[in-house]
Amino acid sequence: MKILRSSAYTAAVIALALFLLSSCSAPRSDRVVVGSKNFTESFLLGEIIAQMIETHTHLKVDRRFYLAGTYICQQAILAGRIDVYPEYTGTALTAILKQNAGGDKREVYQRVKNEYERRFRLTLGPAFGFNDTFAMEIRGEDARRLNIKTLSQAAAFAPQWRAGFGYEFMERPDGYRGLAATYGLHFAEQPRIMDLGLLSRALKDHQIDLAGGNTTDGQILALGLFVLEDDRHYFPPYEAVPVIRQETLQQHPEIKPVFAALAGKISDEEMQRMNYAVEGQHRDAIEVVHDFLKNKNLVP
Amino acid sequence: MNVFRFMLHNHDQVLELTLEHLRLVGFSTLFAMFIGIPLGIVIAHRPRLNKPVLASANIIQTIPSLALFGFLLPVPWLGSSADRLAILALTLYALLPIIRNTYTGICGVDAAVVEAGRGMGLTESQLLFQVELPLAVSVMLSGVRVAIVISVGLATIAAAIGAGGLGEFIFRGLAMVDNRVILAGAIPAALLALLADFAVGWLERRLRPR
Amino acid sequence: MLGGHMESAAAPPVIEFRDVSYQIAGNQILSGFNLQIQSGESVVLLGRSGSGKTTSLKLVNRLLSPSSGEIRVKGVPNTQGDLIRLRRSIGYVIQDVGLFPHFTIERNIGLVPKIEGWPEERIRARVQELLQLVGLAPAIASRYPHQLSGGQRQRVGVARALAADPEILLMDEPFGALDPLTRDELRREFLLLQQRLHKTVLFVTHDLREALRIGSRIALMESGRLITVLSPIDFLRSAEPLASAYVKAFGEGLESAANRGTS
Repeated sequence: MKILRSSAYTAAVIALALFLLSSCSAPRSDRVVVGSKNFTESFLLGEIIAQMIETHTHLKVDRRFYLAGTYICQQAILAGRIDVYPEYTGTALTAILKQNAGGDKREVYQRVKNEYERRFRLTLGPAFGFNDTFAMEIRGEDARRLNIKTLSQAAAFAPQWRAGFGYEFMERPDGYRGLAATYGLHFAEQPRIMDLGLLSRALKDHQIDLAGGNTTDGQILALGLFVLEDDRHYFPPYEAVPVIRQETLQQHPEIKPVFAALAGKISDEEMQRMNYAVEGQHRDAIEVVHDFLKNKNLVP
Repeated sequence: MNVFRFMLHNHDQVLELTLEHLRLVGFSTLFAMFIGIPLGIVIAHRPRLNKPVLASANIIQTIPSLALFGFLLPVPWLGSSADRLAILALTLYALLPIIRNTYTGICGVDAAVVEAGRGMGLTESQLLFQVELPLAVSVMLSGVRVAIVISVGLATIAAAIGAGGLGEFIFRGLAMVDNRVILAGAIPAALLALLADFAVGWLERRLRPR
Repeated sequence: MLGGHMESAAAPPVIEFRDVSYQIAGNQILSGFNLQIQSGESVVLLGRSGSGKTTSLKLVNRLLSPSSGEIRVKGVPNTQGDLIRLRRSIGYVIQDVGLFPHFTIERNIGLVPKIEGWPEERIRARVQELLQLVGLAPAIASRYPHQLSGGQRQRVGVARALAADPEILLMDEPFGALDPLTRDELRREFLLLQQRLHKTVLFVTHDLREALRIGSRIALMESGRLITVLSPIDFLRSAEPLASAYVKAFGEGLESAANRGTS
């Protein structure tokens, strides 16, 4: 009899305990959680958002940085585990909304914003001001000597050049193939596939003459490289924007002006500089961010 | 700053991630019990079904967890919510120990007791609820204990697909190459597993029939 | 058809096997089994293992179903009517006893009355009455089976079978797992009990001594067939080859074992 009663109780207690545990969530009335992806630039943007919120509001900020990728960040913000994280409009369009890239940056921004508000109860804050997209880099001295600024101009010299790209860029249909078609690029030989980290070095050492990097690479400044303008708008815009939960904005309207203050404040060069400071010079990211914000008079 | 000071300093986040972790483990174990215990009872009474059922649960166990998460990602309703996906996957992994121990527990009830009960005129449901289940409960609990411990471990992998929990500390720590962050996830997870093992084990011993 | 019993002079047999066969997995366990057991009789099914005696017993409370033929309980085929009702109206005692280890002795004995809805008081009183009947101290009621000896457990088994006062008792080698002294004690006590209660008993054993002591008739079985049905005295003097083989095998002093009275 004892066992009978005890086991009924046990079953009830265990079930109840498990159920209660499952419905638990920490109360978060006075905190904002900022997320970021797991590369330096995303982490820097996250830290910028965090320090701005800490300075200009009474809210405490929890940092959940180095989340491993777009899907993880999306899941986290949908589930309310994070309240805001930095994303790129092009990524949001293709990877999350699964639509085709196309249109200029204004159109893309608007499309993403509308869809996010409609489908996910998320919204986009104003863009930070830079575009992290593919950058076709050449040596600075070549740019000056040949007096070229755009990819269309560079196409004329392509037959004399060797190019180097990352593996993914070569494989993607919207990568090298489309680029070559759009600009009529014909290189001396098949482009070399290289590790992304080695591209700028190879360019500097004259092993290649054109490298496919990113517009905000820290190495661009450090090695005096030049980014050719994508005058035919082949690459979709990847504007950096904050993605914010609408519920968070409702609960804490005081963070809205924070994002307004950051609108357009980071240029491509400034982002390059910050990336380089952390990756190239190994400076502390938190200091780098603080210095940046101070210099821009965004924090006292 | 050593790991304990780190955890203290970030206690909000440690608590939050621990609760997320418990949520994943809690729901999945509950579901596995709701499905697995009745299934175990059925196959204990219908021996012909026991091979296919146990074999299926066994196959699920052999699928590497990360791979299972990966398979399920493209599935429409599941893939759109990492939580849902993780809970489903964890439930599947918890099934084998629960089904198997329910089956073993009931089969392990003394045949003479069951025969006497049946011969006396107990209905099948009276036999099940008043005799078989109470006598099997300790073995069944042992299955639940194993399921919980497995789930606590597997739930750390769930962070890889965005379900949160203590695994998130581990993955973030790996990306940041920061051991404190890794341990801030690993230590609570290990403690949770130990605690569950101990607590349920205690219950098992108390309910063992003499 | 309930009117039947009025016309015949005798009441129908309490248990009747009509041409019963039982076969499983190609093995013929029982064939052409016919036997009638009257009220108050205690019929012993005697045979070696594999003779079909336990199977016959289990056919009465439908733990097994016959391949052909019919078993009637109180004149009605046992396939008619509610199975649970049937089983609750028959006491069942097995060799391994099968007491519920997680119930007290009181709850074990009182289980059928409880599920039949008897009030608590009546159950408690009945349990005490039965404990006395089977020779156990009242304090045993609050103990657990694992605290009792083998002999005590089987007494509880018998008490449990008698709890709802069934007319019929099925007993499958109930004393087989006990030591010789206890076995003897319980046999003697059972006989006294039977003389008081006049239950209709179907008792299975392979022990001739036990059969002679307990049975009012002995039904000798071999390889699924009924060889002969005789009173204990007649069995001892029988010329039937198997019967005399048994007598020889069991040696001297059987005359004293044979009980001379029934009812």
